[in-house]
Amino acid sequence: MQNPESIRKQIDNLMVEINCYIDFLYISPYVYTRNLLLNQLRDRITMLNYLMNSIESQAQVPGINPASLGLNQTNQRTFTAEELAKYNGKDGNPAYLAVNGVVYDVTNNAAWAAATHFGLTAGKDLTKEFASCHAGQQQILSKLKTVGRLV
Amino acid sequence: MNQREHNCDVYNNNLLSARQIVDKAKEGIRRGIIKKTNLVWLEATGCSGNIISLLDGSNPDYTYLVTDMVNLMYENSLMVQEGINAVSQLEKVIDTDFILAVEGAVATENNGLYNILGRWKGKPLTALEAVRMLGEKAVHVIAVGACATHGGPSAARPNPSRSVSVQSVLKRKVINLPGCPCHPDWFMGTLAHILMYGEPELDSRGRPILFYGVLIHDICPRRSFFDKGIFAKKLGEETCMFKLGCRGPVTKTDCPKRQWNQYVNWPIKDNTPCIGCAQFGFPDKMEPFISYNTTRQEKDNV
Repeated sequence: MQNPESIRKQIDNLMVEINCYIDFLYISPYVYTRNLLLNQLRDRITMLNYLMNSIESQAQVPGINPASLGLNQTNQRTFTAEELAKYNGKDGNPAYLAVNGVVYDVTNNAAWAAATHFGLTAGKDLTKEFASCHAGQQQILSKLKTVGRLV
Repeated sequence: MNQREHNCDVYNNNLLSARQIVDKAKEGIRRGIIKKTNLVWLEATGCSGNIISLLDGSNPDYTYLVTDMVNLMYENSLMVQEGINAVSQLEKVIDTDFILAVEGAVATENNGLYNILGRWKGKPLTALEAVRMLGEKAVHVIAVGACATHGGPSAARPNPSRSVSVQSVLKRKVINLPGCPCHPDWFMGTLAHILMYGEPELDSRGRPILFYGVLIHDICPRRSFFDKGIFAKKLGEETCMFKLGCRGPVTKTDCPKRQWNQYVNWPIKDNTPCIGCAQFGFPDKMEPFISYNTTRQEKDNV
């Protein structure tokens, strides 16, 4: 993952996988199988997008790098910890959380049913928790909708 | 909707996977290709729910398991012997080729004294000692159910017995079959696979991919409701229960296809959310099991 050469190799592998999934999609007769394949496809495409961005920006791929997390949008909202705490997914509020200073919306994220995830609740800065379980899995974050920055 | 009316071969084959392997094992046993293996089933810190679940199995049933597939050498709830006669079965089996199945977590507080299985050579035999002693000698070790695979309810807060998984007390590979309880097919299928072909392909957490290879969410019959954002507001509504706290999106099993109680139903079909009983960390990390105070803006006049 460290140098452009290995990133290119990964991109090649991803392309093979993507083509393979597309081939499977043509022949799978069942809607659940197709949904499964489409999910896999989306996952690979997200990864591909991430790898291509990281080549362009010459950023380091492993670890958590806020610069590559969709912060190129301007005029983003800022949240204090107190403000973020309101978005806990209760009383009709959306579910937001922060990782490395970026605030994400997980209201409709499948893994965050009832705004909870493996004993964690929304409305908090979960940088440490993310790093302890999903270190290096940047694609998880890049799939989420960003809503602002934690200040 | 009857799940077995679908025409997809992949889907139907998956449903029958355990039965097909067991049928092959049956054939192998009938033709004398496979020899019956000794099976020891220990009940450690738990509720005995997994052996009860196994008794509910139908492909094959328990009778076939103990008469034709294995020699069940020890299972404290079901064996005829008791006391010293029961424990002496363990002495007999320890130097043979045997498969060890453990249900229940392993209590480690006070050197395991929270869970004593019987008396071994005049001394109390703790589950901790028994799992270590037999686990090191067994050909295969299968951890059955939530408690054995990751501590489960026995290790839930505050965990006074300091219960841990079987894998945590053994320095060898353990096949993990999580679930509270474990589906009879998951155990029978894994056992038949071991008899026929050896250890099944496992994922990074030691679970057979055959049964634990797919997220419930990805094969959920209510997935289209999730994709369209149609969510149940309360139990009983036949749409996606994501907002109520369904753990299908983080739990890997084939429940939607296989179903329970001899393939008649499963939680989501019965309008209750998946509580993630087969996910590591259950129950503490899967809570709340149900939530009515959610992201949805309630419009009713409560």
